Amino acid sequence: MEITREDIVRFIKKASEEMDANKDYLIELDAASGDGDLGMTMSKGFQAGAEAGEAFGEDDLGKMIFKIGSAIAAKVPSTMGTLMGSGFVEAGKALKGKKSLGAEDFVSFCQAYYHGVQKRGKASPGDRTVLDALKPAADAAAEAAAAGTDDPKELTRIAYEAALSGVEATKSMAPVHGKAYVHREKLAGVPDQGAIVGSLLYKAWAETF
Amino acid sequence: MQRLLNKPEEYVDDMLKGIYAAYKDRVTYVEDDMRCYVTKRKKEGKVGLMTGGGSGHLPLFLGFVGDGMLDGCAIGGVFQSPSAEQIANVTREIDSGAGVLYVYGNYTGDIMNFEMAEELVDFDDIKCLHVKGCDDVASAPKGEEDKRRGVAGIYFVIKCAGAAADAMLPLEEVARIAEKANGSVRTFGVALSPCVIPENGKANFEVKEGEMELGMGIHGEPGVEVCPLKTADETVDYMLERILADLEVKEGDEVAVLMNGLGGTPLEELFIMYKRVTEILDERKVSVYFAKAGEFASSMDMVGASVSVMKLDEELKKYLSTEADTPFIHQSAIQ
Repeated sequence: MEITREDIVRFIKKASEEMDANKDYLIELDAASGDGDLGMTMSKGFQAGAEAGEAFGEDDLGKMIFKIGSAIAAKVPSTMGTLMGSGFVEAGKALKGKKSLGAEDFVSFCQAYYHGVQKRGKASPGDRTVLDALKPAADAAAEAAAAGTDDPKELTRIAYEAALSGVEATKSMAPVHGKAYVHREKLAGVPDQGAIVGSLLYKAWAETF
Repeated sequence: MQRLLNKPEEYVDDMLKGIYAAYKDRVTYVEDDMRCYVTKRKKEGKVGLMTGGGSGHLPLFLGFVGDGMLDGCAIGGVFQSPSAEQIANVTREIDSGAGVLYVYGNYTGDIMNFEMAEELVDFDDIKCLHVKGCDDVASAPKGEEDKRRGVAGIYFVIKCAGAAADAMLPLEEVARIAEKANGSVRTFGVALSPCVIPENGKANFEVKEGEMELGMGIHGEPGVEVCPLKTADETVDYMLERILADLEVKEGDEVAVLMNGLGGTPLEELFIMYKRVTEILDERKVSVYFAKAGEFASSMDMVGASVSVMKLDEELKKYLSTEADTPFIHQSAIQ
């Protein structure tokens, strides 16, 4: 498989559209357990990321992904904006110098994205955060690639489905961080809004191909 | 509450335009971004010292940029962290080869952005160290100091770090002194009203008429207790009991005290409170080496106050005692 510069542009624009389309839903979820600004920050942040991706004129895809991350973090320095930016920055570093991405590189993207967010936010899987979508997606992609999956459509679909199961699992997780912790009693049965953002990222990948 | 402003979404930018106009001989900004605030009197060769944080706390944070204190400050929206890029831009400007010390409050958003900024300037080979102010006794129990929020006591940390940097000490040494100051200061705050964020025009929490919240944070983080309004003396008794116990202040110790208003409390009331502070310290035979009253870390229009106490030794006294002068703060040298 081969993921090109054009695919990455398509992916980040899709991601921006998804954040936009889910803006009100995210605001509503976030208002119950956070600042209520998540939909707004993700919509603004990914739009800046998409603009940076489109404007990138060189052929180093790692640097391109790094620039997308820097643009998101610069546009929305809220917690989630910085975390999403950090994921792209870490993934960009992992893919530095690549001119096209194969199946293993896609796995590197997923794993580095997860590690970038984890390192910055210092949460753990199971804490009811975005990591609970990002980790299953990275694990599933790694497993599928190791088993020989080489079709980008198939590989990204597998990652997206794992992210969705991760979102589902957050419904029964108790939050341990931030304002969500304060509102923990109201959250049983409700998915984590951060994890939803993570799943939308993989939805965008799946719809790129 | 009625306010004087223009468009609420231009609150921070309008404020910054006013500050740059008023103090045009002292401060400027870099990268064409008003939120990347730096001194015009950069001293070459010394460790760069900067902070950053949300707007809404003047004179914290940018007000501490000036002679003997900070070289720069990255400014966020009201109660929001500045971006990593803004922090990185200020870092590059204030570095003169000796590295940069970041001194900021212990809040998740600020930590993430300062850590990310450090990675961004790593490409420029700028060495950065971090000291996170965590003086708020009410925000986590003793033994979990690293979970405490940073509030007004950061003034002392920045003052000591600024004097150490001015003495041309190396980065590790400036950081050690800042960390020592940070470990020696405790703050306790009380709120009598909420504050209103201009952009949404609403208070994001409530303090009922006739009540007060003990231990509330400077962004309205919940305190330890809501109680009927106490007198100034009773309030200070409560605050100092917690500070002095936590700091393990004993007879014969020397301290510095910062009596801080949160924005809506007049200076008169701060001195009424300070009167009680000295009575308690006298009673405990603790001597006050230095005291200052005024606004150091406010919370927009919040009514309330905080007391910070720093336990001193000869080294901290040396760095606390030098002159500092910024457009917002003047501290004379202590003889």
